[in-house]
Amino acid sequence: MTRRILIVFAVLGMVAAALGYYALRLKARAAREAQAAAEQQVAVTPPGNGPAEPVTLYVASDSDGTLHKMQVSAVLPAERSERDRAVLRTLMAQYTKPESGHPVGAGSDIRQVYLMEDDAAVVDTNSSFAEAHPSGVLAEELTVASVVLTLNANDNKIQRVKILVNGQERDTLAGHADLRRFYLASNIGQVVGGLALPDRDVVARRATGNTQ
Amino acid sequence: MHLLRSRRPLGEKHKHVWVSLGLIAAALLFWRLATVHAQSPDQLTVYSSQTTYSAALLDVKGVPYVGLVDVMEPLGSIDARPDGKKYKLRFTPPGGHAVEAQFTEGKEKAKVLGEELKLPANFVLQNARGYVPLSAVPAILTKLLAKPVQLHAAARRLFIGDIAERFSVELDKGTPPKLTVSFPAPVNPTIATEPGRVRFTFRREPVVSGGQDTYKFDDPVITGATFSEHDGLAELDVAATSPLLANFADGGKTIIMAAAPPPPPPTPAAPVSPPAAQPSAPAAAAQPKPPAAPRFLVILDPAHGGTDSGAAITPSLAEKDVVLTLARRVQRELANRGIAAAMLRNSDAAITLDQRAVTTNAARPALYIALHAANTGRGVHVFTAMLPATDLSRTGFLPWDTAQAAFLDLSGVAAGSVAAELENRKLPNIALVAPLRPMNNIAAPAIAVEIAPPDEKVEDIAGAQYQEQVAQSIAAGIAAVRGKLPEVRP
Repeated sequence: MTRRILIVFAVLGMVAAALGYYALRLKARAAREAQAAAEQQVAVTPPGNGPAEPVTLYVASDSDGTLHKMQVSAVLPAERSERDRAVLRTLMAQYTKPESGHPVGAGSDIRQVYLMEDDAAVVDTNSSFAEAHPSGVLAEELTVASVVLTLNANDNKIQRVKILVNGQERDTLAGHADLRRFYLASNIGQVVGGLALPDRDVVARRATGNTQ
Repeated sequence: MHLLRSRRPLGEKHKHVWVSLGLIAAALLFWRLATVHAQSPDQLTVYSSQTTYSAALLDVKGVPYVGLVDVMEPLGSIDARPDGKKYKLRFTPPGGHAVEAQFTEGKEKAKVLGEELKLPANFVLQNARGYVPLSAVPAILTKLLAKPVQLHAAARRLFIGDIAERFSVELDKGTPPKLTVSFPAPVNPTIATEPGRVRFTFRREPVVSGGQDTYKFDDPVITGATFSEHDGLAELDVAATSPLLANFADGGKTIIMAAAPPPPPPTPAAPVSPPAAQPSAPAAAAQPKPPAAPRFLVILDPAHGGTDSGAAITPSLAEKDVVLTLARRVQRELANRGIAAAMLRNSDAAITLDQRAVTTNAARPALYIALHAANTGRGVHVFTAMLPATDLSRTGFLPWDTAQAAFLDLSGVAAGSVAAELENRKLPNIALVAPLRPMNNIAAPAIAVEIAPPDEKVEDIAGAQYQEQVAQSIAAGIAAVRGKLPEVRP
C-alpha cells in the first residue's frame, strides 16, 4: 500500500514537472513569435523609386500635448491611395523611433488607405497600432489628430478620415478616443487652434483658462 | 507478495498513471472552480454620516477581506503605499489630525496609532492594495476614526459612528387597520408587492432592527412583519391577506400601510344620449402639485471599472482606481462648497458607456464630469466634446451621437473655469476638445478631466496632496460658474 502511494506521488510530481516545463516552452515560443511578428511589421519608409518629395507630418508630443509641423523627404508612389499610405507609414516611422516624444506601440503600421467619394479616407491600421497604443485621452487624441492632419496636409482633397483596426471597426483606439466616426479635418482644427497659421511650428492651443 | 505485484498485467501496472492523471485533472478543475468563486462579486455596504457607499470584498481561502483604501477613502484623505512587505497608511479625517497604521504582508501583527493589534488572519497585499480580514475592520476603524464602528458581518453591512436607524412598528386595529412604521430619519426604500406581502428594501439607509425581527399581529388583514438584512441591504416584509397601500408621511420618516379600497362596482352602461345643449359644470380638477425647487446637481463619472481597468498607470496602479479616488475627493470638495454631486460608480463596478450616458441624462444634471487618468504627459487635461456646435433646440429631439453639440457653449464655460482654477494653483494644464464617449451622448453641459503625473514620478499621480489640489480646482471652477449653468427642476 505504501509503495503504491509512493508511486502515485512520484508520477504526480513527474507530470507536474513536465507540465511546468511544457508551459515555459510555450510561453517562450509565444514571446519569440510575437517579437518576430513585431519585427516584420515595423513601419519603414517606403523603398525609393524616383526622386524624394517633401512630406508634411504633424507629429505629436506627449510632454506638452502639442502637434509639431515637420517637413521630411520621402519617395512616394504615384498611385493616390498608395501615396497616402506611404505618407502615414512615414509618420508611423517617426513614432516608432526610440527617441519619439509620442511613442506608439512597437509594430504599429498602416495596412491600407481606402479612398471614398474623393474627400474621404478610411485608414486600415494593424492590430499592434491599437493593442499596443498607450492608453489615455490626450495620447489617443493626439494620434488621431496627427493621422488626420497629416493626410489632409499631403492630400488636401481628404477632408474626412475614419480609422479601422485590422480591417474592423473598433469602439476606441485604446479605451478612450472614439474610432466609430469619421473625423473632419476642419473639426480636428479645434484641437490645433493654430491650424489657420500654417507657418507656425507648434500648432496647439495651450489653455490659459480664458475659454469662457 | 512483492513479486506477484510486479508481475501484474501491463494495464494493471499503468493503473497508477491513470489514477494520477485523473487526480491532476480533478485538481485543475477544482482550482478553476475556486478561482471563479474568488472572482464572484461580493460587496460590503458602508454607512457613514457623510455618505453610503460600497467596497468590494476579496475571498482569500474562504475568508472575506476588504481593501483598507476602499473602506476609508470616502471618509477622509488617505495616503496608503506598500513599502516592500510593509503597507503604510496615513489617514486624515476632514478637519482632523493625521493618524497612521502599518501592516505587514503575510503577518497578523499590525500597528495602529502606535499600538499593536492582532488581526484574525494574515494581512494580504495584492496589486499594491492592502486587504484586511473583514472581521478586523471594526477594531482598526474604531482606533483610526475614534468613532464606534459596528459590523454586521453576515449581512455585509458596516456602520461608522452612531448612525444606525432603529425603527418602530405599531398596528392600529381600527377600520381599516393601519400599520405605522416609524424611522428616526427620512427613508426612501424600493417597494415591491407580491401576493400576500409588501417588501420594503433599504439600500442606502442604515436601517437596523428595532429590537425584534419578527412581528405577529392579531389582525385578519395585516398579519405580521419580518425584518432581515443580507447582501448589504435591509428588508422589511409586511404580510397581509389583502392588497395594501403604503403612504409616506412626516417628511419620509413614517410609512403608513392600510388595506387598499375594493375596486368600484361596475356601473351599468349609460344610454347614449345627444350632447347636452348646456355646458356641464366642470369636474373637480386635481390640484396641481407645486413645482419642485430647482436643484444644481453634478454627475461625476469615474471612467472604466470592473474588468475594464483603463490605462495601466504603473504595473500595480490602474486608471480605474486612480479616478475613483479622485472622484471621491471632488465630491467632498463640491459638498464643502454646497454643491450636490452624485457618482456613477462608487465601487469597482463595470458600467457601459451607454449606461453612463443614459443614467446621466435621466438625472438631468447641471454638469457632467468624466474623470480619466494617464501616465503620459504632465498635469491636468480638460476636455470638451469634439463636435461642431449646432443650434439645436435643447427642448427638441437630440441625436444620440451628437447630443452634446447643443450644450457646447456651456461646457466650454465650465472647462474654462476649471482650467483657470488649475492655473491659479499653478498646476500645468491643457484645455482641448476630445473625441470621447460618452461625452458626445450627454444632453447637459459636460467636461472631461484627465490627470497625468505632476512630475517625473508616475506614481505621484495617486498622491493625496496632488489629487486634493486637482479636486479643489475642479470644485472651485464649478462653484465659480454655478450661476451660468442651468439649474434643473427634478
